[in-house]
Amino acid sequence: MKIVLKSCTIVSSKNTYKDKQDVLINNGVIEKIAPEINEPVDQIIEKNDLHISSGWFDAKVNFCDPGNEIKEDLLSGLNAALAGGMTAVGISPNTSPAISNKSQIEYLKMKGLGNNVSVYPFATLTENMEGKNLSEMYDLKNAGAIGFTDVSSPLHGGILYRALLYAKNFNGKIISFPYDSSIFGEGYIHEGITSVSTGLKAIPSIAESMTIERDLNLVRYTNGELHFTGISTKEGVELIRKAKSEGLQITADVYIHNLIYTEEEMFAFDSMYKVLPPLRSASDRDALIEGLKDGTIDFVCSDHTPEDIENKEVEFDQAAFGIIGVQTLFAQLNKLESLTLSERIDLISSKPRRVFGLSDNSIQVGKVANLTLFNPSIKKELKSEDIISKSKNTPLVGEELTGEVYGIFNEGKLSIIE
Amino acid sequence: MNNLSVKHLIGIKDLTKEDIELIFQTADSFKQVINRPIKKVPSLRDITIANLFFENSTRTRLSFELAEKRLSADVVNFSAASSSVKKGETLIDTVNNILAMKVDLVVMRHPNPGAAKFLSERIDATVVNAGDGTHEHPTQALLDAYSIREQLGTDFKGKKVVIVGDIKHSRVALSNIFCLQKLGAEVMVCGPTTLIPKHIHELGVKVEHNLKKALEWCDVANMLRIQLERQDIQFFPSLREYSMQFGLTKELLDSLGKEIIVMHPGPINRGVEISSDVADSKQSIILQQVENGVAVRMAVIYLLAAQINR
Repeated sequence: MKIVLKSCTIVSSKNTYKDKQDVLINNGVIEKIAPEINEPVDQIIEKNDLHISSGWFDAKVNFCDPGNEIKEDLLSGLNAALAGGMTAVGISPNTSPAISNKSQIEYLKMKGLGNNVSVYPFATLTENMEGKNLSEMYDLKNAGAIGFTDVSSPLHGGILYRALLYAKNFNGKIISFPYDSSIFGEGYIHEGITSVSTGLKAIPSIAESMTIERDLNLVRYTNGELHFTGISTKEGVELIRKAKSEGLQITADVYIHNLIYTEEEMFAFDSMYKVLPPLRSASDRDALIEGLKDGTIDFVCSDHTPEDIENKEVEFDQAAFGIIGVQTLFAQLNKLESLTLSERIDLISSKPRRVFGLSDNSIQVGKVANLTLFNPSIKKELKSEDIISKSKNTPLVGEELTGEVYGIFNEGKLSIIE
Repeated sequence: MNNLSVKHLIGIKDLTKEDIELIFQTADSFKQVINRPIKKVPSLRDITIANLFFENSTRTRLSFELAEKRLSADVVNFSAASSSVKKGETLIDTVNNILAMKVDLVVMRHPNPGAAKFLSERIDATVVNAGDGTHEHPTQALLDAYSIREQLGTDFKGKKVVIVGDIKHSRVALSNIFCLQKLGAEVMVCGPTTLIPKHIHELGVKVEHNLKKALEWCDVANMLRIQLERQDIQFFPSLREYSMQFGLTKELLDSLGKEIIVMHPGPINRGVEISSDVADSKQSIILQQVENGVAVRMAVIYLLAAQINR
């Protein structure tokens, strides 16, 4: 089976192809890249201003399967990911029950088979996410877990300390969501002028930065390796920047909505914007973008969190946290105009893959095709019926988005989005 | 101008200075009405009002109900424990059930900030916020400012008001700040450091933690009720210790060398925020506030009802 992609712009930070190229893929392997390929093939793909890049990876999605399939199940989630141009997703373990043993990892991997988006599950750091005993990390890693996280449940210092030490034996990736709710009580929004004038309970920035400092001390002490997920404050960015320059083995990510929106959205009490960590000030958002540019923050993910209307269309205090985003991750990222197109793509492809030890999927002759096919500049309004996810909790409905996905190659197999 | 700029009364934040002054002028005539032998006007004979209280309240509900009845509206009351949502029925369902009985205006108290705004965006009826969690309590602020105006005159410029107590959990404080600032007064907040939000100064208010200094500065002191029910963690060791630092006593009042006006939104914890002899002194206008509450609420409901198509 020979497929040729006609007249592609190849987007890559180490791009050696300046002009548009034809790309020949033979039985899933990239066989030839040349300005003009005219040999007989089985299928020709020609699209308006076709761009290709190494396949995208959304490293944090919640697919609610098992447990809350009414909001999302693995297959609807993977279909949404495909529509978003992902060739791989990292699935959070906060399902019901939580992904805490080998058979649950295998359930996700088996159920995902036959779908063209690769499933990379995370497992819980503690047994059943109870915060008490370490889960069987070695066994889980062998079964396919790419990292260990209790998602948004705070970790006690002692547990994190033992996990950092224990995981060194087998290069397990430990993940911390830096949020301490014990000091200030439960809150929902950034502490500042908006929390004061809306009366909504706040999560001060220090709830994040204190935890980061503690975690960094533990990394220093254990000489371990830690990934921070969901950084939202300028203080957090600065702490990580310093720690990296000191040589600590840490990485970090940021959720897309924290790069786009700010606390301003809270004045309208719109629960669609209720997310954890909360949307913070404009200066926090700017610091996060700066952190992406200088490599302090390694990558961007969607934190795709499906919620049904019964949990969102209620009073703000009672609304659930979260926005869906795997399908619109690229379009949202396109709003960050201070980054070049190839920088934006790196943030959702090569960079997260490197952090979690996934194979290099750069575009080279002789490699199995792992590509996303897209157009970065088409503008199109997002309609509710275009949303593939079972849940529709996104503020983007009705907005004109920039960028369209045409399809993917994953493990050499083509999927075109109609 | 004879119309408010808003369709609902969600918060003072949404009102203009002209709106507030219009409410005061209207309240002036209703205050005359409620002091006549026949305390009623027929203005809202064709209007049905539902008072929905998802949080306990005695005097606010009573004040609204009296205001509505003196405007000749038909009134229904609905009280539910704050846990009604936990019982399974959502706020929207509850309210839509009541609206199906053809109600024109809803007065709602609710424990969650933003609940009144949430409701106003989703139902057809006019909404009056009677307190939404720690957000706003606009009619309380209006009646407080109206009471100050009665004492000090219509020009608020340069008038100094201190709000004392639990600022962090107080919707009364927030609405008062917005209202007094719009009218041109200067506002200070005073209370234990644990009960003053860190960013409150960004609203343009002064912050003071010493009651005597605050009182020396002000023309009016509004002593808030300590609301233990709205605190999920302990912010000060005991009520006794609170009143040692922030309780207003006769001795303290007399030491000021000037007469200030003392207010309290009620119900008073005698001996905590305010001692009995202060509460009952002639400097205290606590009962005038209650009387004005009815007149101001009549004005608000009258002006909002004027915008309903009928």
